[in-house]
Amino acid sequence: MSPVVTLDDLHTDIALRKGTVYPVGGVSLTVGKGESLGIVGESGCGKTMTALSVIRLLPPGGRVARGSITLGDTDLATLDEAGMRKIRGNRIGMIFQDPMTSLNPCMTIGDQVSETVLLHRDVTRAQARERAAEVLDLVGLPRAKERLDSYPHLLSGGMRQRVVIAMALACEPELLIADEPTTALDATIQKQILELIDDLRGRLGMAVILVTHDLGVIAGYTDRVAVMYAGKIVETSSTRELFANPRHPYTEALFRALPENVDADRRLYAIPGLPPDLSNPPQGCRFAARCAYATEECRDQEPELTGDGHPFACFHPLGAKEQATPNPHTPLAVAEETAPLLVVRNLVRTFPVTSNGVLQRKIGAVSAVADVSFTVHTGETFGLVGESGCGKSTIGRLLVAADTPTSGSVTFDGTQISGKSHHELRKRRRDFQLMFQDPYASLDPRMRVRSILREPLAIQHRGSAVEQEKAIAKLLDEVGLPGAALDKYPHEFSGGQRQRIGLARALALRPKLIVADEPVSALDVSVQAQILNLMRDLQREHQLTYVFISHDLSVVRYLSTTIGVMYLGKLVEIGPAEQVYTSPAHPYTQGLIDTIPLADPEREQRKDNAGVRGELPSAMNPPSGCRFRTRCPLATEKCAAEEPPMRQFSHQGHQAACHYPLQQPDVTESTNRTNPGSRAAPQS
Amino acid sequence: MIGFITRRLLQSIVVVLLVTVIVFILLHLLPGGPARAQLGTRATPAAIANFNHQMGYDRPVPVQYWDWLKHLVTGNLGFSVKFNQSVSSLIGERLPKTLVLTVLSTLFALVVAIPLGMIQAVKRNHAADYTITCWAFIFYATPPFFLGVVLIVVFSVYLPILPAEAPQSSSLGVILSQPAGLILPVLTLALVTIAQFSRYMRSSVIENLAEDYVRTARAKGAGERIVLIRHVLRNSLIPVATLLGLSLPTIFSGALITEAVFNFPGIGQLFWTAAQTQDYPIMLGITVLVGLATVIGSLLADLAYAVLDPRVRYA
Repeated sequence: MSPVVTLDDLHTDIALRKGTVYPVGGVSLTVGKGESLGIVGESGCGKTMTALSVIRLLPPGGRVARGSITLGDTDLATLDEAGMRKIRGNRIGMIFQDPMTSLNPCMTIGDQVSETVLLHRDVTRAQARERAAEVLDLVGLPRAKERLDSYPHLLSGGMRQRVVIAMALACEPELLIADEPTTALDATIQKQILELIDDLRGRLGMAVILVTHDLGVIAGYTDRVAVMYAGKIVETSSTRELFANPRHPYTEALFRALPENVDADRRLYAIPGLPPDLSNPPQGCRFAARCAYATEECRDQEPELTGDGHPFACFHPLGAKEQATPNPHTPLAVAEETAPLLVVRNLVRTFPVTSNGVLQRKIGAVSAVADVSFTVHTGETFGLVGESGCGKSTIGRLLVAADTPTSGSVTFDGTQISGKSHHELRKRRRDFQLMFQDPYASLDPRMRVRSILREPLAIQHRGSAVEQEKAIAKLLDEVGLPGAALDKYPHEFSGGQRQRIGLARALALRPKLIVADEPVSALDVSVQAQILNLMRDLQREHQLTYVFISHDLSVVRYLSTTIGVMYLGKLVEIGPAEQVYTSPAHPYTQGLIDTIPLADPEREQRKDNAGVRGELPSAMNPPSGCRFRTRCPLATEKCAAEEPPMRQFSHQGHQAACHYPLQQPDVTESTNRTNPGSRAAPQS
Repeated sequence: MIGFITRRLLQSIVVVLLVTVIVFILLHLLPGGPARAQLGTRATPAAIANFNHQMGYDRPVPVQYWDWLKHLVTGNLGFSVKFNQSVSSLIGERLPKTLVLTVLSTLFALVVAIPLGMIQAVKRNHAADYTITCWAFIFYATPPFFLGVVLIVVFSVYLPILPAEAPQSSSLGVILSQPAGLILPVLTLALVTIAQFSRYMRSSVIENLAEDYVRTARAKGAGERIVLIRHVLRNSLIPVATLLGLSLPTIFSGALITEAVFNFPGIGQLFWTAAQTQDYPIMLGITVLVGLATVIGSLLADLAYAVLDPRVRYA
């Protein structure tokens, strides 16, 4: 395979007002024609800066300081700006993370795609437009020709990402750089986009550099992989080899932090500490400070990236000799059967859509939550999972009485809390607290940690000032933050630390229930593992009950006792976590499981099923009958005519609402007259 | 779109009515009154009472308002004793002149301020940016009447190249035929507007340059000129268009003072004279006009918004 692009000892620095950061500190790699190289690592490891160095679109103050980037026979590291402009979009295409913001909102998609062609090819506007239609068709935009004059805001996230891909591919580049191309998308759409990139790579014979933090994406869609840590490649090999036989302790630690590899009753392995500050890179091995195997040698000298076929940079590689595994996944105590704490009955929440006229006529309604019932017992974790827009966050808000249901009830600890006035709820609110997704946005940037934690205590008049001070100190200790944190502001902390503060704030009033809405989805795997472990420890100590809302089924499976799967406002399946995950009854649950990219190339490449096709329909006019039928491979006319009732699948409370379930329903318990077994598909 | 405009216009009528109520009350609370202004300080109380009775000013305020409103609907804004002319004909004669002044200065201000703001954004924190910012603050902070006087001193007294007074004529044609006389009033009005708009344009462009779609455009191989003109410009104009609509009344009332300084025979000068003689009908008429300008300005801003931003569609 002839190399398309070769990086040799690439160094990149970014001059900031205060000092210089060295995000890329000597990276060498090559990508061949038709080959896909994955660059994986946690945020701040330099993977995105490496990609941006290749296309030379570094942030202000950034420059390629040393080394070479050879594309064909051109050295991009020393090429002038005019020369680079002829390369970008022409010989190198780039796809960015967030399709919602990476398109110009004021330009039609046709103009945006044909712009690439007009910049690099000697064609007329009409020819460029024709080419745009052709490429948009290639990337799977339905009715591409008619949609050339659409503006981006009319398209969904997945469709916008297809447009971005079309722009990158319009001139058939030799190299495609995809920087976290699916991180902002739902799992079902992620699978579609990754498969599209993979398919186009094969058809157009491009080299692809896929930058991602997700080992599952790497496993399924790359040929070779480079693991980066603190601006350096620590290990690189073929994807299969790396997953089967990781040599660098950092790679191993990343694998072990993944919840999908750990039984639900075990602790996750969390990498201690934080990545080093790259404005002042440490001496010796950069991972030494967080490495379980580090010795004096590691701290003094820097290991070279050496070895044939599977080079790694470590003095004490794995598999060289028997090593005691540090911090094995320690088992956790199992919770016992307890009384119900939260009872949700026939919950409905509809948001009216009004015309923006004077009279505000009601012109429709968004059915966000449609008839959802479930029970959560004391001390258990109820995981609510589904794609964005399925109503899971709305339920979260209803559970803590931050919103009022259209109909139905929420009963907490024997008292109905839905539909109660602010005044009546005031005292009860201490018993249920929220934990938010974005640790950056959910803390007041102008309040010190001390005030953030004291506020709930002060509002609920909990104890004297001295007692409050004591309570705050204890909280901080419980979530594993040093006492010095009290006088700092939120921006002085890392994302994981901020989420600890968020957890401490939720815990301040010693609530019985915490509703956590995507608490770890903004965090890196190693930090995610720390927070998940902490949540479990605190649950055991304080008999906490969690409602854990997430789009990530593997995290939900790991943390939850019970899983509820939501689709477009409906609860389609509910049951014990292991049963739902290993033997789902609803085709949607099966589809969700299939779309999760597993960090295991063997299993990932054996997967042949489609996942979930198409896009989420509008909740303003949900499909009749079963709401999933428009994307369901098993749907028949019956699904459109009749809404499937909840049916029992096991005595442990496994239920699903499907006419053609993937499991035999438990007939002894079933009260249904229909004959469900006739079309049941065999379980994969 | 038509429905939207109709609704907005209906809303506007309510707004303008409220404005007239407030102004009507405020005017009648003023000490002195039109009789004093008209008949002089030594007029006997009997003469004043007689004048007020003749003009109907001795009736209760709500009655006077209702009466004025009835006339307004038929297009009759009342009669000015001082000018011995109907208010509508006074306004009709002077409005085009003020419009010429406002439109010319606004257009000039936009033509200068938009590129200036873009240059500042591109050369952010460089000498050019600092220089323009410094001057923008100076002009923004200077009251227009003072700026007008300074311009007169510089361009009419020290370097006598421009006339200190606007052309004096009741005909618009005569005024337009002497463009030299318009330069200083237009410049006075425009400098403040330029100062304000270049600041907005600068921050708008800076914000847009940091957007992801700009990076996408660069990744296509677009040069900085294309990025700036084809991608950033339109997006940056969106907030500026809103600002323009909302500052229409400000520019209009800015013209009032500037007209007084340059003795420009427009609405401003008329208002100035009417205020000094407490000529109720003229002041009310002009207030309605400014109220209308405000309402039309914000309607235009909304329409410009819909034209520039495809995400905004009115139903």
